[in-house]
Amino acid sequence: MDYIGEHSLISFLGRASVALSFAGAVATVFFYSLYFFRSKNKKTNDHRGIKSAGRLSFAFHSIGVFGTIAILFTALFNHWFEFDYVWRHSSLEMPMKYIASCFWEGQEGSFLLWTTWHVILGWVLVGTAKKWEFGTLMLLAMVQVFLTSMLLGIYIGDLKIGSSPFILIRELPENIGLPWTELRDYLIRLPSLRNGQGLNPLLQNYWMVIHPPTLFLGFASVTIPFLFALTGILEKKYYEWVIPALPWTFFGISILGTGVLMGGAWAYEALSFGGFWAWDPVENSSLVPWLTLVAAGHLMMIVKHKKSAPATALFLTILSFLLVLYSTFLTRSGILGETSVHAFVDLGLNGQLIAFLGFFSIGSIFIYLFHWKKYPKSPSEEAFSSREFWMFIGSMTLLISAAQITFSTSIPVLNKFIGPEGLLPILGNSMAPPADAAKHFNSLQIPLALVITSLLAIGPFLRWKETPSALFKRILPSFIITILISALCVWGLKLYNPLYAALLFVSIFGVFSNADYWIRIVRGRWTSSGMALAHLGFSMVLIGALISNGKKEAISTNATYIHEDFPSNENILLPLNDTVSMYPYYVSWRNERTEGHNRVFDVDFYETKESSTWNDFKRPELKPSFTLNPFIQINDRMGNVREPSTKHFWNRDVYTYISYADLRPLNEKNGDWSDPMEAVLESGEEVFLFNEYLLYCDTLNVQNASINQNSGEIEHLDLELELILKSMNGDETDLTLPYHLDGNEAHTSEVELEEKGLKFRFDGVATAEGKFNITAWEKNNGDPPFVLLQAFIFPYINLLWLGSILMGIGTLLAVWKRVYRAINENRK
Amino acid sequence: MKKTQIVLLLVIAIMIGALLVTLEDASVYATFEIAEKQKPETVTVVAKVDLNNPIKFDPKTTLLTFKAIDKDGESRSVVYNQPKPMDFERSEEITLTGHSTDINFVATEILMKCPSKYTDDEGLDTTGIYSINS
Repeated sequence: MDYIGEHSLISFLGRASVALSFAGAVATVFFYSLYFFRSKNKKTNDHRGIKSAGRLSFAFHSIGVFGTIAILFTALFNHWFEFDYVWRHSSLEMPMKYIASCFWEGQEGSFLLWTTWHVILGWVLVGTAKKWEFGTLMLLAMVQVFLTSMLLGIYIGDLKIGSSPFILIRELPENIGLPWTELRDYLIRLPSLRNGQGLNPLLQNYWMVIHPPTLFLGFASVTIPFLFALTGILEKKYYEWVIPALPWTFFGISILGTGVLMGGAWAYEALSFGGFWAWDPVENSSLVPWLTLVAAGHLMMIVKHKKSAPATALFLTILSFLLVLYSTFLTRSGILGETSVHAFVDLGLNGQLIAFLGFFSIGSIFIYLFHWKKYPKSPSEEAFSSREFWMFIGSMTLLISAAQITFSTSIPVLNKFIGPEGLLPILGNSMAPPADAAKHFNSLQIPLALVITSLLAIGPFLRWKETPSALFKRILPSFIITILISALCVWGLKLYNPLYAALLFVSIFGVFSNADYWIRIVRGRWTSSGMALAHLGFSMVLIGALISNGKKEAISTNATYIHEDFPSNENILLPLNDTVSMYPYYVSWRNERTEGHNRVFDVDFYETKESSTWNDFKRPELKPSFTLNPFIQINDRMGNVREPSTKHFWNRDVYTYISYADLRPLNEKNGDWSDPMEAVLESGEEVFLFNEYLLYCDTLNVQNASINQNSGEIEHLDLELELILKSMNGDETDLTLPYHLDGNEAHTSEVELEEKGLKFRFDGVATAEGKFNITAWEKNNGDPPFVLLQAFIFPYINLLWLGSILMGIGTLLAVWKRVYRAINENRK
Repeated sequence: MKKTQIVLLLVIAIMIGALLVTLEDASVYATFEIAEKQKPETVTVVAKVDLNNPIKFDPKTTLLTFKAIDKDGESRSVVYNQPKPMDFERSEEITLTGHSTDINFVATEILMKCPSKYTDDEGLDTTGIYSINS
């Protein structure tokens, strides 16, 4: 049957592209793997045939992937809402600039994004990997087989393989066989298909346009060193693999690190948990591969410089990729459910995700262990004063840090195994994540950060093999400066927690020693600046995170004493148009308005004139300082979201959000009546009202009814609903609410109980049979409208952002250094 | 024994230590009854807001009091010294972190699960099919 206006051809083309990319990936694996079978049998150097066939298959795979993207974008761009993906993730009202966010809001789109980066990086490998091409592309194509299969959307028996972004709404399992799917013109007839559900407003933020592609490029670049490591094992090139793998590793460190921090920037700007990092499982699971990749990169440098045992470097490189897969599994399988604030959609692909994770974990660990005996051992022992020894210690510390974060994040997975309903029920009750996540992670991660940061401060001055004793003379200047500066900081910031003070000390040392190294030893030569800049940036990120979090100050304190169980509250009550003291500012809530999805609150901040003192009984003279506009996003899909507004100064941020507000329009809040309360009742039921009353629904009386003899429709109807209002003291008041239907027009009137200060309205019969809709209001007690505000000062948070930029640039320079050398060697 | 081997052993020892500390820090999913037995230990209770009892929020003290029903059907009054979360009444399920006292459950954190948040699956509304007179 031809459906009117439906783009069935496009849907077919889309699925054909996915099928092409899948088939292309399978063919690539086939042709490139021929090399391994042929090279074992006979010594032939001519692999040109299989190379061309492999490249051609990869080209078909790429055409499929890019075709898929193009078709999905076309459908999104043209608002073809017969596509389930388009209907679910976009709408007519959504600004076009966020179309990219719609693309990767769903799981299918984000898998596609990841696949695409693999394709692009794969072509770079084709161009640069030379003799490594066979192994790396074969393995990459295996990853692609799994990734593209997630988009197939086919059923083999009852087994669902993948979820296609091109499935039409009428083809969804829940709709198959419904009468409307048989209508040729269903697109015209179904009003709900004229517009989609729209993009989650929370993601309509510019960070969400750039954060996902950056993060997935980071994930994709963790794959490449893994490909080299495994190819190195398979081809017995236990040392050589690090040369091509190193620039990719630093590229991954740079991009993945930036991507993770961008996620933090989004959280800081769009979410109101009060900070950029919450140790949320989703954040953790993308941080962990970064930590192991950094460790792997350092171990690779040891292998490269010292020809030492490659076993640990191989292990960590493989582990980093497996952790990316594990992170994908955690965030997409819905297993984190109750423990994370992030929203997940379970697409029913868990079996496939486990197969993906299982295939590569078991496969690569088997290959790694199978060749265990053949890995070269270190020719000599590392000296205590050598750079490699301390680099090794640092990498191991990073591994411990990654392992600890993984343990804590995996608690829901652990429950599946040993929880009360798990495979091996050891625990009586399911484990829950630590109650105070920040305290838990800080207590374990700060000691590890201390070790890592002191090593990256001293490390650059150490020499390979052995360091002459002149080392101490060389780091002495920066050490002395550090003691002075950090003493000043600890005193100035009153940062007396010993663990925090120690971390501040080593981080400042990291900044100064690396700056010193950059100026005196590298002398600012760009190609060699990578290490110093990256280390400096990392130390600065730590300083920024430490000061801004450790000295985060809630200025919106509420002094009301409630109970010894409760600490003083961090919410300040702002009545409309009143000016309230919130040291060091005075604040005033002046107005609110509606902008798109958002209810925006204008909060003015005032400073006191310098001449007036705070302690005067007279009100000090005020001068306007700045205005902040925190808002509440009215979000039907995820519930309303409180979004912060922040004033950035060079040395601090003033961060605010509305923690509670009555969402009625201002004029209504100012009016005589309270927030309406809606109740749905049937005869004999009762409901609580305004904490004081019970409203009992007695009977419904039909007074007059006349039916049109011709059409059978109701022409005229008078209803009276009888209710009894019961007070806490036992009083009962009878109440009769009228409802009057005239043709299609309903007339209701509000009934006021003056002595109680209440009024009621009968809104008709609810869709559920026999239930009545009632709205009730309470008289306002004369208090002006108010909001509750939370305000924090984050001191020196800009150091964090500056540090992340430096770290990103530093690691990219480390990539450039190696690419530059490779180009120069080629010329020779 | 080589230095690197000693380091690797140490790494494994520290990892086991970190695992034990993590298990020590982990709280448990409990019911109100377990929470009372283990008071004043902090636990996590998955419960539902009882909409048949008053939900009181006093903005001046930012004190929220309500009744919650856990998975065993036990009902307890809960106090929460933070502003009332958005759409609190609409929540399908709430995750309470806190401890029991003699009279009530003191929540320090409330995570809400909204009906549409995780499944996102309202499906297509086909109640309004237009009848076209032909």
